[in-house]
Amino acid sequence: MRGIGWHRAALAGSLLVGIMFLGIIADLVWQSLGVLSWHFLWSPPSEMGRGGIGPEVRNTLVMVGAASLISLPLGLAGAVFRVEYSGAPLFVKVFDRVRFTFLSLPTIVVGLLVYQWVIVGLGWPLSIRSGIVALVVMNWPFVVNVGIEALEGVPDTCREGSLALGATRSQTLRRIVFPTALPALVAGLGAATARLLGESAALIFTAGMNVAVHWSWGMPGETLAVHLWYLRTESLAPYANAEAAGTGVVLLAVVALVLYLTQKIAHWLKPRDYSRKSA
Amino acid sequence: MNTKPAPDLVVQNLSVHYGEQVALKDVTLQIEGGQILALIGPSGCGKSTFLRVLNRLVDRSAEAHCTGEVFLGDTRVLDPKTDVVALRRAVGMVFQQPSAFPFSVFDNVAYGPRLQGVRSASRLRSLVESSLKQAALWDEVRGKLRRPAASLSGGQQQRLCIARALAVSPEVLLLDEPTAALDPLSTAKIEELILALRGDYTFVLVTHNLQQAARVSDVTAFFRQGRLIEIAPTRDMFTAPKCEETEEFLTGRYE
Repeated sequence: MRGIGWHRAALAGSLLVGIMFLGIIADLVWQSLGVLSWHFLWSPPSEMGRGGIGPEVRNTLVMVGAASLISLPLGLAGAVFRVEYSGAPLFVKVFDRVRFTFLSLPTIVVGLLVYQWVIVGLGWPLSIRSGIVALVVMNWPFVVNVGIEALEGVPDTCREGSLALGATRSQTLRRIVFPTALPALVAGLGAATARLLGESAALIFTAGMNVAVHWSWGMPGETLAVHLWYLRTESLAPYANAEAAGTGVVLLAVVALVLYLTQKIAHWLKPRDYSRKSA
Repeated sequence: MNTKPAPDLVVQNLSVHYGEQVALKDVTLQIEGGQILALIGPSGCGKSTFLRVLNRLVDRSAEAHCTGEVFLGDTRVLDPKTDVVALRRAVGMVFQQPSAFPFSVFDNVAYGPRLQGVRSASRLRSLVESSLKQAALWDEVRGKLRRPAASLSGGQQQRLCIARALAVSPEVLLLDEPTAALDPLSTAKIEELILALRGDYTFVLVTHNLQQAARVSDVTAFFRQGRLIEIAPTRDMFTAPKCEETEEFLTGRYE
């Protein structure tokens, strides 16, 4: 019976956190009601009157999309090599040490490194493509991590079962391991992408804080998260408060959409067990 | 079904090391094609390692090192020039945990033939049907071939794994504690199946179930700490073992 008290306390705590979270979202939505409109979603920002976040939405989708697409094969290659092909235990140890270091590296430091390489070193402008490089470097270790966890989730009996039937290692990888790991992979990639959507600090000094009139890979382009930071710190726009709340709501909605869709796809990719349904 | 005669198994001075650790030491034995060899012994005695040498699955651990000679028919199993893929087609394996792939029943059985390039749907269908019949599973899964293999019971999944192995027409079947995870009824079905297939394939069966070894096998080998202690026709082994250690193990007085 002693457990009951703790059980109730935990329940009350969870409820409280849930209510607070809903409260924050409700507050954000309430604050943004004055600006949320199609106009807000499509038009460029303005310091004078009612602006929008059109370019920021586009930049966010383009930069996060491109960075995800580029880091996907890089990360998967690392994960496949680590799980399926690396034989020596010492190599695995060193690989994991490096992986965990990169995972815990503050993103602003990653941004600094990219700034040094790409903008100072290669002379690239403060631009969308520099921002993409920063996001790729940030995302790579996460995709490796997601990949490793998904591949390690595939039972070894499946691999051995396939090898024992005369499949080569690459056939086993393509026909057994990847299809089995796919749901976990998709769900994990969704989480990694959602994390990129919120990235701001490192992008401020790689992709810049303004939007160009004519979009180009070589022009500066701020994302939703950076715009939010800008609105709350430097902006003198008359509706900055409401616009910041609106930007936050849109960003949250994009994150929620990415997470929801990837979870749905992951669920849909899972092999279904019809026997339970028909019972 | 299987036109090739089951090959003899000849093992000469086989030793396996994992790094510093000795898994098998100087094992020499021989069985005729079509016989059922049961391997018994306490956990960690090298039975499973022995099995994994026969289809070179032991190669998966980078630290494993094998010496000695193993012949399956004319094939020198440990020769580095031996084509491992061809060897594994000839040597099917069934594992302790049913390792059905997360596909449909049909695709599980068709996996091996497809790897070998069989594309024709009718050829695949007949291969799947004959393999499932051989594995005594056909009557239970006909009309449900498109269901996921995971919807089958543990015992059915294990027979599915046997069907999957049979579909690539092997000559040898390695069974690594095939009934350890199954209930008595499913175990009995698997044993019946092994007896029905006896003669067509050379079997090597690892088991912790001594009654099973006694019921099913022609020859029994007792391993302990990586060494082959005794090998004899099963009836002789279980009625009058020659070594004291074997007798202690068989009567449960071991250690």
